[in-house]
Amino acid sequence: MRANSWLRFASIGAVGVLLAVIPLVVGGSSFYMRLATVMLAYMTYTIAFNLIFGHTRQLFLCLGALAGASAYFSVILTRQLGLPPWGTIPLGILLSGSVGAVLSYVSVRRGLGVIFLGIVTLAFSLVFHNLLLGLREFTRGETGIVTRGLGLGIMEDRFSGYYVFLAILVLSLLLYYLLVRSRVGLAFRALSDDELSAELAGINVTGYKVLAAFVGSALLGTVGAFYAYYNGFVGPEIFSIVSIDTMVLVMLLFGGMGTLLGPVLGGAVFTVVNELVRPLGPLNLLVYGALLVILFVLFREGLVVMLQRLVSKPARRHVPEPPPAVVTGPEP
Amino acid sequence: MIPLLVDGVVLGLQFALLAVGLTLIYGLGGILNLAHGHFAVIAGIVTALLISAGVTVPLAALLGILSAGLFALLIDRTLMLPAYRYKGENRLLLGLMLTLGLSLMVTGLLNFRFPQTALSLRLPVVSVEIFGVTVRTASIIVASMSLLAILSLLTFLRRTTLGKAVRSVVQNETGAKLCGIDPKRIRTLIFVLGGLMAGLAGVAQGLFSSVGTELGMELTILALIVATVGGVRSINGTLAAGILLGVVNAFASFYIGAYLTSIILLVIAALTILVRPEGLLGHLA
Amino acid sequence: MIKVEGLEVSYGQTRALWNVSIDVERGEAVAVVGSNGAGKTTLLNAIAGMATPQKGQIFYDGRPLAGLSSHRIVRQGIAYVPAERELFPQMTVLENLELGAYFNPQGKSSLLKFMFTLFPRLEERKRQLAGTLSGGEQQMLAIARGLMSRPKVLLLDEPSTGLAPLLVLEMYRQFHQLREDGLTILVAEQQVPTALSFADRAYVLENGWVRLSGKSKDLLDDPMVQRTYLGVA
Repeated sequence: MRANSWLRFASIGAVGVLLAVIPLVVGGSSFYMRLATVMLAYMTYTIAFNLIFGHTRQLFLCLGALAGASAYFSVILTRQLGLPPWGTIPLGILLSGSVGAVLSYVSVRRGLGVIFLGIVTLAFSLVFHNLLLGLREFTRGETGIVTRGLGLGIMEDRFSGYYVFLAILVLSLLLYYLLVRSRVGLAFRALSDDELSAELAGINVTGYKVLAAFVGSALLGTVGAFYAYYNGFVGPEIFSIVSIDTMVLVMLLFGGMGTLLGPVLGGAVFTVVNELVRPLGPLNLLVYGALLVILFVLFREGLVVMLQRLVSKPARRHVPEPPPAVVTGPEP
Repeated sequence: MIPLLVDGVVLGLQFALLAVGLTLIYGLGGILNLAHGHFAVIAGIVTALLISAGVTVPLAALLGILSAGLFALLIDRTLMLPAYRYKGENRLLLGLMLTLGLSLMVTGLLNFRFPQTALSLRLPVVSVEIFGVTVRTASIIVASMSLLAILSLLTFLRRTTLGKAVRSVVQNETGAKLCGIDPKRIRTLIFVLGGLMAGLAGVAQGLFSSVGTELGMELTILALIVATVGGVRSINGTLAAGILLGVVNAFASFYIGAYLTSIILLVIAALTILVRPEGLLGHLA
Repeated sequence: MIKVEGLEVSYGQTRALWNVSIDVERGEAVAVVGSNGAGKTTLLNAIAGMATPQKGQIFYDGRPLAGLSSHRIVRQGIAYVPAERELFPQMTVLENLELGAYFNPQGKSSLLKFMFTLFPRLEERKRQLAGTLSGGEQQMLAIARGLMSRPKVLLLDEPSTGLAPLLVLEMYRQFHQLREDGLTILVAEQQVPTALSFADRAYVLENGWVRLSGKSKDLLDDPMVQRTYLGVA
């Protein structure tokens, strides 16, 4: 077990180094740099969803809305009140974290199942979308708001933007790792297996679920807010369900729910797939839909688990022995 | 005031027609069909294509609805199989994901092949006067279609032997098997019925205004809202919720505006889940 | 009529039946007795298609029942009344009975009348929801529902559970009547004396094995049976 944790910890470092090298490989092409940065953002989104859904079975269908809430909140505050981004970004993060926590708390208290939570969060997503379009004076509706870097020249060029998101990703991986291998992670495992038993065993199921939701949502908000400034522009379509939620779902499923590197793998693979599929036009939805189905039916555990199985020694098969004959048949 | 109310009720009946298929598949089949609106759209598209190929309107509409049912049959026998292997919450979750994938596929395919196609039917007599209120003939037809369909469904489930067999599978699958009832066949029947209702709603929508490929997700969301408020297991509830939300919609869009109206409907659905998850008239029809 | 050969059934790692073989001839009344966990329910479940055996064969009228799903087996003429009854709680007594005749609807109304003569209390409550009936009434309803399919064989799992002794007597009297009319009955029971006084033959199951079998009369005289199941020193 010890060796295992060191391996995981080291893998975070390896991932960080690997990704850090990409800008050099890519040679500074602005198209690829942007693509890579977006990939990092999606990887972090997926880590957040991993915490919320992969570890505590809370079906949040409002990932885009949470990220967007933070983004818009920060940008609007900056714009309307003239505050610097450094001040408003934490507020955005706090907002999305809190909203996520509230959604989680309310649903646990009301005993909502996975489905009803999914519907409620879906409703939230749609409400958010409609708010963006409806509150024109603040959000400028479909036109969106233009932003400018973070100040101090950071994120105003493609390299610094990339490294900011890389830092966020690595920190998220570390956070995930520390969380999952602590008592919190143990609690997560217990409650995602059987909530009632976990509750009876004295685990504060409500507390842990809300914690997972808060941390996950705060992560979403972090990426969302920074992305707003990186992108130079926020608009309703950036944080829509199709843009974010469906992609993240596919990424996490593919990479492996409940794993450390699953989100990273899933994010990398699907950034590539997305580019390959782009020329298909509307048919790309067909591909993603089919992928979703295939992943959920055949490939539920994800790539990481499959790879782990290939790499590690196959566990000694536990062959059940027939129980010793306690009662022999009637004497003839 | 009165015209708005009438509009609202008619709209509401159409909401109910759209949602009842979803309620059927969720309450009796245990699947949350996120592709429900797409079944409606498919019926509309097929009808439109048939009409432009020269088929008479009533026949085209009938064939369109049947095609939705046929599509439902196909999906039930293929895509839904993994979901039926589970029960309860796991089945709901898997069904949700599978139908979500399906909705994406259908949207992609339809947008690719028929981006411009939409069904929009015009009636020879546009409107009539009833008690001094001008009512569109389309509204009358849609309202009666909807009422007829829902009442027939209720009668089918309550009075006929097959309908009771359907309810029996939901109440106790083992017991149903003990009566020689095949649960798989019944589930297919439910899914196809749901698909047919969606198809009917799609054609009704084409009569009312228009139905095109882009409406799929929107119709599903609408159906979901109505079904949630009415109680996802209650057909009576769906009818009541439909009418209620239709009226709310009519008044809100008139006085407040489109975006806020959508928000209001969504919030009502969310509140229903939080406050009274069984819905307005919760329990099995 | 029913022939079980070398049946082995396991639930996961737990073995419930080890090499069980029983025989039920047409028109016979056979009992399977044993204490809790002996495997009686598993045996009946296997015959009715609700449990899949790992080994062994089940024959009905000479034809193997291998792999048939339970709703098909019912349609072959085997009616099963499980211990949990499995009624439709939100439907009326009448509706439950009607569904019993689902695949065999001919003569439904006269059959219903017959059921009501067998179980008059059900007629009183015919418009009541099944979920609101008492334990004994539910048991009667479950049996009546099974009979509505006009079966050739009736499988009963612990029908006396939770019933007052007088009711149990009454019920077995009805079984006797049905037997006279030609029904083959296989009943699993914990209440050994009742079962043995009703059935012609019986099998004693213990820990998934057939411990003893024979005519009820002989079994009643058997010292082991008397000691273990009849409480006679």
